[in-house]
Amino acid sequence: MKLLIIEDEEGLRESIEEYFTEAGNICETAVSYPAAMAKIELYRYDCILLDITLPGGNGISILKKLKENNYTDGVLIISAKNSLDDRLQGLDLGADDYLVKPFHLSELKARVSAIIRRKMYNGSNLLIFNELNIDLQAKTVKVHDKPVKFTRKEFDLLIYFIANKGKVISKNAIAEHLWGDGIDLANNFDFIYSHIKNIRKKIVEAGGNDYIQAAYGMGYKFTDQ
Amino acid sequence: MKLLTLYNRVNIITTIVVMLITGIIYYRAISWILNDQNDKALKVEEDEIFDYVKLNNRLPQVFDSKDQQISFTETSPNSIRREFINTKYRKDKNEYESGRGLISSVRVNGKYYKILIVESKVETEDLIQIIFGITIGVILFLLLVLLVANRLILNRLWQPFYAILKELKLFNIADNQEIAQTFTNIEEFKELSQAATAMSAKAKHDYKDLKAFTENASHELLTPIAVINSKLDTLIQTENFSDRQSKLLTDLYSAVSRLSRLNQSLLLLVKIENKLMTDQQNINLRQLLEEMLMQLEDIFLDKQITVTTNLADKEIIASRYLIEILLNNLIINAVRHNYPGGHIIIKLTADSLIIKNSGDDAPLHEEQIFTRFHKSSGSEGSGLGLTISKQICENFNLSLQYQFQAPYHTFTVIF
Repeated sequence: MKLLIIEDEEGLRESIEEYFTEAGNICETAVSYPAAMAKIELYRYDCILLDITLPGGNGISILKKLKENNYTDGVLIISAKNSLDDRLQGLDLGADDYLVKPFHLSELKARVSAIIRRKMYNGSNLLIFNELNIDLQAKTVKVHDKPVKFTRKEFDLLIYFIANKGKVISKNAIAEHLWGDGIDLANNFDFIYSHIKNIRKKIVEAGGNDYIQAAYGMGYKFTDQ
Repeated sequence: MKLLTLYNRVNIITTIVVMLITGIIYYRAISWILNDQNDKALKVEEDEIFDYVKLNNRLPQVFDSKDQQISFTETSPNSIRREFINTKYRKDKNEYESGRGLISSVRVNGKYYKILIVESKVETEDLIQIIFGITIGVILFLLLVLLVANRLILNRLWQPFYAILKELKLFNIADNQEIAQTFTNIEEFKELSQAATAMSAKAKHDYKDLKAFTENASHELLTPIAVINSKLDTLIQTENFSDRQSKLLTDLYSAVSRLSRLNQSLLLLVKIENKLMTDQQNINLRQLLEEMLMQLEDIFLDKQITVTTNLADKEIIASRYLIEILLNNLIINAVRHNYPGGHIIIKLTADSLIIKNSGDDAPLHEEQIFTRFHKSSGSEGSGLGLTISKQICENFNLSLQYQFQAPYHTFTVIF
């Protein structure tokens, strides 16, 4: 996958770039409005991560420019402006998704994966990972072609893991993904554990591999290595 | 006490006192003047008697005149002292009226006589009464006119004051309405109005500044928090953490996520207060509640909380985003302050949404729970949840109330 990261905050930009590059993607970066405009005029990307507040211009103009030229690059707005107007405006103008700072890199990765999946496999919503065959539309999972029943949260979590395969995902990131950031309960990590236990059990019982590893008590890692 | 009442009271008391004093003085003065005139007339009569005696060497003949009576009485020599007296004047037989008399003496042919000249004072007294009556009447009339005029004039004069007062009462620092200048020709009120207008403008400006500061500060904090978050996410991708390190990292994660939640809550509050959430739409509360309860199912399960619902269909027009936050806050509160094995009862009717939960046996302090950063001991929340909920309710003209009826803490949203 080829990505363009338009973000002026160096620390954030580097982290995103590193996270995506390690996962085997090609990342380019732009630190300002003119630099970003120059890039999108020359190259096409699978997904563009677009910050709204940029030195030298507004990210919304970049989005407009893309749409004017009928470029089909996926666009994910990442913005500190948690304003509904911005969000609606961005989505109205054809952005594929909107993520508010601060976010977890794993959440960003899951959203980008979803956008690219939608763009690449128009209509067909199958996500295949080794023996796992997931129908995103019907929300069904097959292990070795045998249907396995997952609850909604387990299904969500499985997709989230696959999008972030090979990465350690913190428990906080998982909790926020499953329950939104309105949740602030001390022992919600226990629920994560029971969900993960269930996912593992269901896959293994259907003859699949156990892909989920606990990582130093901080989080979990989904990997086939 | 109203200014007008006080003014009138003082006015009336002063007027009456002054009137009494001047009345007495006036009465005395007129009496004295008229008495003096009587006395002069008596003296003229006395002189006439003396002249007559000197000329004729006998007493004058006494006859009743219309308003004077003279009598001579023989008495022992030098026993009479000359004086004016108030006495009775005999009008007819057995009919007396007040009179003024002069006692004097005269010596005729070696005999000593007492002279008593009495004059009727009726006409004088009538005069005094008439003068006094007219004067009092005029004063009373004047007083009445003054009172009425004062009332009318003062009411009218104070009109700008009441107009300014009304503006001040309506003044709300959070809305956009400025205090309008009240037009008046009275210097004092003009100044008052100007001062009120200037003050309101300044208060609004300062309040806006403060809000802008909160918003900007929260905004500026977002980026560093985002950087810390992403760096932590990156850090845990590196290998080989000791147990101690991973414990520290977990704590860091919790702190950062708490910080970012707090920050988002502050931003949200500013936004609600500024009425920036304008995406009004029809929301089916029953549907929304059912979705949320399903989402939170595992949290209820974990704490073994029984949720009983009784949901009627209810639609409201509001921002879906804010209503979700409101419901989420109320339900999460009901879980957070519950004990394992407790109950939550949710009842939605056409008039109200009631969320009851079991919990501590003591009622919460109703005044404090909606204030910012008020937390019950042991709460892991930000202390902003209920403040935000209250703000959201006010924003949509709903009312949020708290009650404790053992064993349930009850929050009610009244539509």
